[in-house]
Amino acid sequence: MNGSGPKVVVDDVTVRFDGVLALDELSLEIGRSEFVSIVGPSGSGKSTLFNVVSGLQRPSSGRVLIDGQDVTGETGHVGYMLQKDLLIPWRTVVGNIVLGAALTRGARSRDRAEAAALASRYGLGEFLDHYPHALSGGMRQRVALMRTLALKTDVLLLDEPFGALDSQTRLDMQLWLLSVYEDLEVTILFVTHDVDEAILLSDRVVVLSARPGRIMADLPITLPRPRGLDVLTSPPFMDLKREVLGLLHETPVAASR
Amino acid sequence: MSALLRKTAVRLVMAALAVGLIFGVWNLVIFAFDLKAYALPTPQDSVATIYDRWSTYQPLMLQTIKETVYGFLIGAAIGFFLGVAMSASKIVQRLIYPSLITSQAVPVVAVAAPLAILLGFGLVTKLVIVAWWVFFPVVVNVLDGLARVDRDLLNLARVMGAKRTRTFLAIQLPATLSPLFSGLKIGATYAVTAAVIGEWVASLQYGLGTYLNTAAASLDTRGVLGATILLTMIGITLFLIVAAMGIVATPWERRSTARRRTRPAGEMLVGHSVETPQT
Repeated sequence: MNGSGPKVVVDDVTVRFDGVLALDELSLEIGRSEFVSIVGPSGSGKSTLFNVVSGLQRPSSGRVLIDGQDVTGETGHVGYMLQKDLLIPWRTVVGNIVLGAALTRGARSRDRAEAAALASRYGLGEFLDHYPHALSGGMRQRVALMRTLALKTDVLLLDEPFGALDSQTRLDMQLWLLSVYEDLEVTILFVTHDVDEAILLSDRVVVLSARPGRIMADLPITLPRPRGLDVLTSPPFMDLKREVLGLLHETPVAASR
Repeated sequence: MSALLRKTAVRLVMAALAVGLIFGVWNLVIFAFDLKAYALPTPQDSVATIYDRWSTYQPLMLQTIKETVYGFLIGAAIGFFLGVAMSASKIVQRLIYPSLITSQAVPVVAVAAPLAILLGFGLVTKLVIVAWWVFFPVVVNVLDGLARVDRDLLNLARVMGAKRTRTFLAIQLPATLSPLFSGLKIGATYAVTAAVIGEWVASLQYGLGTYLNTAAASLDTRGVLGATILLTMIGITLFLIVAAMGIVATPWERRSTARRRTRPAGEMLVGHSVETPQT
């Protein structure tokens, strides 16, 4: 927490794989405690952008700054969660949540206590000692998010975290994530295919074009927080949804021009 | 609990019936083909032989158990480390895998004799032969287990800033457990046969395998069968021990919760024996 500049800066990032341009001079600023969703057609480089910000993928050119510091190609600065929960079958709920500590300095009883408190607070209190296979898909994703929160990095990258869930569970999880987000001071970068999800959760929705990924639109979502289920059927929501869908579905036309 | 008790009782009865079935068929064959006792003694006679000659069998059996267990442990350790080494480096894997497959395609019985000339007629040769048979299923299974670790999980570990050794200990090593025990169970069933073959070529110390040879040479079929039953028992026992260890080592495959309970948040740092009711 230093200064008042943007939390995350993606500065002129280009990624090329074997001659294929995945991201083309993409720049993006994300403010402190902002929730930004990225939508775009498949192959628009959303996941590549995530891998660059997380440090897994070094860009062909360009930089990534977190709190003004150059962290290009460095891991360990952000939390990261995928559609696959990637829970470890032989670790219990608490064991999975403390994975970050276990992999870096070793999990202490304090970490386990904090993990248990975090899990209890967000509806997993009765499942602290369950193995992942005994949990439902929604609960597994909750554990995966707890694991990401337990890293205590204040930037979270969530790559279609609810993409594999049924629509009922997915909506529950979105509302749950809203409550978690409104509780904590974290900056979230969220990738999704689901326009409703993007608008419901975010402060901004960034629309990417088909490959190579460029920013087509950057829409502020000014719906008041805290948000609930009623937002989904409100007129401003519908207007925003129409706008984003319009942008997404002219993408193939724009790309072939 | 009573459900568990009933399940165990049913299993024991089934096991007894299975043994009874073998003895029944055995007796039936003797009766149907009118076999004389020197050709094939009854199972009752064979078991009685073990009882009568226990003082002969006992030291031989201990010797064979020693070879089987030590050879098994050496083979398992070699197999495990080879599996880990091969998964750590593709080059090592490409270099070693062909020789591993060759080692199993070569009939061990054929190399056993030259091996005895090379390594002597003592314990070493026998251990090498047992380990030779045991290590292969272990390598193959450990290698498979490590290859099946999700790439995305390893990437996640990297994003978390994980140290390589900790990733190995927390993610990769435990991932080998289930396949490791599959390999060990196969190895356990091979180990006794391997020990017997070892004793045939390297007979400095007498075991049940050497006894089989001398008993067969003197047409002592009762002695042969008594030794065979004992060898079978060694094999089954080793298998059961390994299987039981596997069950203890991989509780998440059978249970939905860990045995050790996390104390409820809040009371965490206070008392030290807060019991949570078992579900």
